Amino acid sequence: MTQLSRRCVPFTPFEGELGGATVALVTAGGVHRRDQPPFNIADELGDLSFRAIAGDVDAADLMVTHHHYDHVDADRDVNVQFPLERLRELAAEHVIGSVAGEHVGFMGYTMQLRRMYEETAPAIADYLDQHARPDVVVLTGG
Amino acid sequence: MRGMSTVLITVSPEASRQMRPPRALWPRDFRVGNALGRPFMRDLQRRVLLDALALLTAPPRPGEIVERAYPDYAAEPATPA
Repeated sequence: MTQLSRRCVPFTPFEGELGGATVALVTAGGVHRRDQPPFNIADELGDLSFRAIAGDVDAADLMVTHHHYDHVDADRDVNVQFPLERLRELAAEHVIGSVAGEHVGFMGYTMQLRRMYEETAPAIADYLDQHARPDVVVLTGG
Repeated sequence: MRGMSTVLITVSPEASRQMRPPRALWPRDFRVGNALGRPFMRDLQRRVLLDALALLTAPPRPGEIVERAYPDYAAEPATPA
């Protein structure tokens, strides 16, 4: 962690206006669709995989698999961790340009921080870039 | 790859600070698992999301975490609609 913190801040400027921006969500809160494989919470090293979630998913079809935080509130209303319905409302009001076609959930708990930083995070960025091309990504923790 | 601008909503500011996120909002006193607030508090969730998005067009403060209070978070949890 100390070593990672010595890196420069990877700052990407935001150009343009929010009203024209496509916005994607990425959460470390273990959110995935009910019909996707759950994250592996049996492995004490964590789970480095991620799940792609389509922007038109029904929020009721989402669930949380994560054993390192209390997700009872997200189980009742996934928007507390993954505010897809709030994002849709902002798009309908033209506060943002659009909701991205793809979003991502992963389980942020890991004992393999370097692999998550060097493998999982770039893989998520590549996936979104190739499948959704968002201008903005809103990140939430788990 | 084209660049993507990111903003983090964190409820663990000390942990997040070590990663030096380019933009981050800390809704003060929100517990882990409540990044946007409490269930079914749509207005609160919306304000947190809007405040996070507003950091994209605010003067850049890379690596800093912006703290904000949401007094209604501590109020009685809303019941399902």
